[in-house]
Amino acid sequence: MTEILVRPPLLGRKPTGRLNADVTRLLPKPLLVTIVVILLLAVLVPLLYIVLASVNSDVSVASGAFFPTELHLDNYLKVWTTVDLRNGLINSVIVSGSVAIICAALAVSSAYVLVRFAFRGRLTVLRTLVGLQSIPGTLMLLPVFVLFASLASALGIQIIGTRWALFITYITFALPFSTWVMVTYLRGLPRELEEAARIDGASSWRILTRIIVPLSWPGIVVSAIFAFLLGWNDVLFASVMTDRTSRTAAVALQVFGATQEGGAIPLYGQMMAASLICALPVVVLYLVFQRYLVGGLTAGGVK
Amino acid sequence: MSTSTPVKAPAVTRASGSPTGSPVGGRPARRPGRSPSERNRPFWMLAPGGILMVIIIIVPLAIAFVISLLDLDQYTLRSWLQAPFIGLQNYLEAVTKSSLLRSIWISVSYAAIASAVTLPIGVAAALATQNAFRGRGLVRSIFLIPYVLPAFVVGTVWRTMLQPGGVVDAGLTGLGIHAGLWLNGPQSYWALIAVQIWSSWPFFYLLVLAGLQSVDQEVHEAAAIDGAGWWTKLRHVIFPYLKGPVSLALIISFLHNINGFTLPFVLFGVPAPEDVNVLPVLTYITSFQSFRFGLSAAMAVASLVLIAIPLFIYLKAVRLDTGEEGKRP
Repeated sequence: MTEILVRPPLLGRKPTGRLNADVTRLLPKPLLVTIVVILLLAVLVPLLYIVLASVNSDVSVASGAFFPTELHLDNYLKVWTTVDLRNGLINSVIVSGSVAIICAALAVSSAYVLVRFAFRGRLTVLRTLVGLQSIPGTLMLLPVFVLFASLASALGIQIIGTRWALFITYITFALPFSTWVMVTYLRGLPRELEEAARIDGASSWRILTRIIVPLSWPGIVVSAIFAFLLGWNDVLFASVMTDRTSRTAAVALQVFGATQEGGAIPLYGQMMAASLICALPVVVLYLVFQRYLVGGLTAGGVK
Repeated sequence: MSTSTPVKAPAVTRASGSPTGSPVGGRPARRPGRSPSERNRPFWMLAPGGILMVIIIIVPLAIAFVISLLDLDQYTLRSWLQAPFIGLQNYLEAVTKSSLLRSIWISVSYAAIASAVTLPIGVAAALATQNAFRGRGLVRSIFLIPYVLPAFVVGTVWRTMLQPGGVVDAGLTGLGIHAGLWLNGPQSYWALIAVQIWSSWPFFYLLVLAGLQSVDQEVHEAAAIDGAGWWTKLRHVIFPYLKGPVSLALIISFLHNINGFTLPFVLFGVPAPEDVNVLPVLTYITSFQSFRFGLSAAMAVASLVLIAIPLFIYLKAVRLDTGEEGKRP
C-alpha cells in the first residue's frame, strides 16, 4: 500500500511485481469458468437481442422472435423522423455538456477550499455534501418546480420549459457528488508545490488555476463525467420541466411508447434503435475513461 | 441527490482509501499566522456552488415542508403561499387513505431483495476475475455494460423483451414454462427486481474487486502454506477483507433502489401496476397526474424519513476527514 501514499488516489496502482497467479487464485478453475460464462451470457444475450431487434420488423419483435426474419436497417433512418430524436439528442448534449463543464469547475474550486483550508463548519459542509447525494429526486421535483413557477410570476422570467431549467437543476444536483469526488482527489495531492508557491507570494486563485487544476485532471474528468451522466440519464425532471422544443433524448425515447396508440403494433424496432443511439454516447464515455472511472476502485490493482 | 449518482459515489470515494493523511484536519490546532490554511482563506470560491445549493436544494426542501401542510392543487399552485393551511391533514390522508404504506412496503422490500441478491453475484464475479487470464480486460469491460446503460434505456428494452408474447415469454415457452404476464399483476414485482439486479450487480462487483485488492500477497502465501482449500480460504481469509466494501455497497445500493424512479417509471409506465407502485412513482403520480400537490409533498417528506436510517449509517461509515470508508479490516 505504501506506493499509493504519494500518488493521487485515482491513479494509484500497485506495482505488479510479485504477482503469482497460483498463490492468489481464489476459485478452482471449473467454477471460475462457469461463473464468467454465465455472467457473460446474462449480459451479452440481452444486448445481442437489442441489436437484433433494432434491425427487426415490429411484428417479428412482438411475436418474440430472437433473430430477425427480415432485415430492417431502415429503422435507423426512420427513428429520426418518427420522433424528434435529433432535437432531443442536441438538447441532451448541450445541457449535459455545459453542466459537466460548469459543475467540474465549481467542484474543483469548492473542493480546494474544503480540503486545504481549515475553518469552522468545514465538517458540517462535508457531511452535507455526502448527505445531499442521497436525497430522493422525487422529493425535490415538486418544490423546485414551484420555485421556478414562482420566479416566473414574481420576476417575469419563464424558466420552466426552457433548457435553463434543466441546466440549473442538474448543475446543483450534480454538485454534491462532483465536489465530493474532487475532495477525495485533492486530498491525495502533495501540498509541497502549493506551499512553495504560497511562499513565493502566489494568490489562492493563482495556486488553484496554475497548480491544482493541472495536477487534478483525472479527478476533474471523473466529476465532469458523472455530472454529464446525471443530466443525460435524468427522466424525472426532464419529463416535467421541458416542452416539445427543449425535451431531452431521454424524454424523446419515452415518446416512442406513446406513438403506438390506435391498436397498431408499437414501433419496437425503432424503439430499440433509438435506445441504442441514446446509450451509445454514455457507453463510449465509460469505455474511453474506464481507467479513470474505475481507477478509484481498483487503486492498487493488479492489471 | 439524483436518482442515479449515489450508487456511483464509492467509485471515487474509495479512491481516498489510501491513507494520505492530509494534515488539513479540522481539529488539530495550528499555530495562527504560520499556516497558510488560516490566512487569506478564499471563501469566495465556495460561493457559486454554495449559493446554487442553497437556492435549488435547501430552499426547495423548506418549500416541500411548507407545501406538505397546504391544501394545494393545480388551481392554487401559482399563488401557493395563499393556499389554505391544513396542518397535518395531508399526512393523515397519506397514511390512512392513500396507498402510501403499501408503496413504502413495496419500495423497502424491493430495495432490500434486489440489494441482497446482487451481493453474491457481484462477489462471484469479482472472485472470478481477480486473477489474470487471457481476455480478462474484455470481460471486465463487458461486465460493466449493464451498469453503464442509462436506466431509461434499460427500462425501455426490458419493457419490450417482457411484453406478453415477447422474447422472454418465447424463450420460457421453449423451456416449457408458461409464465404469464410480467408487466402487470403480481409477477411485475419480480420483473422489477430481476431487471434491477441485471443492471446493478456490476456495482457490487466493482466494490468487491477493490476490496480484494487490499488483500496482501503474504496473506495468500500464508493460506497456501497452510494448505487451505479454496472454500476454507475464502471463508476464513478472504471474506473478512470484504466486510467493509460489501456493507458499504449494500447501504448505497439500498438507498439507490429506494430512491429509484426512472427504472420502474419506464419499465411499467404510468399509472403503475399496483404491485410495483413504488414510493417515488406514487409521489410523482400524486403530483403530476392527480395534481394533489400537498398530499404528494407529504409523501415526499415521508420518503425522507425512510432513507434517514440507512443514510445515517452511511454518514457514520464515511470518515469525512480522511475520506476513508468505514472500518477497514
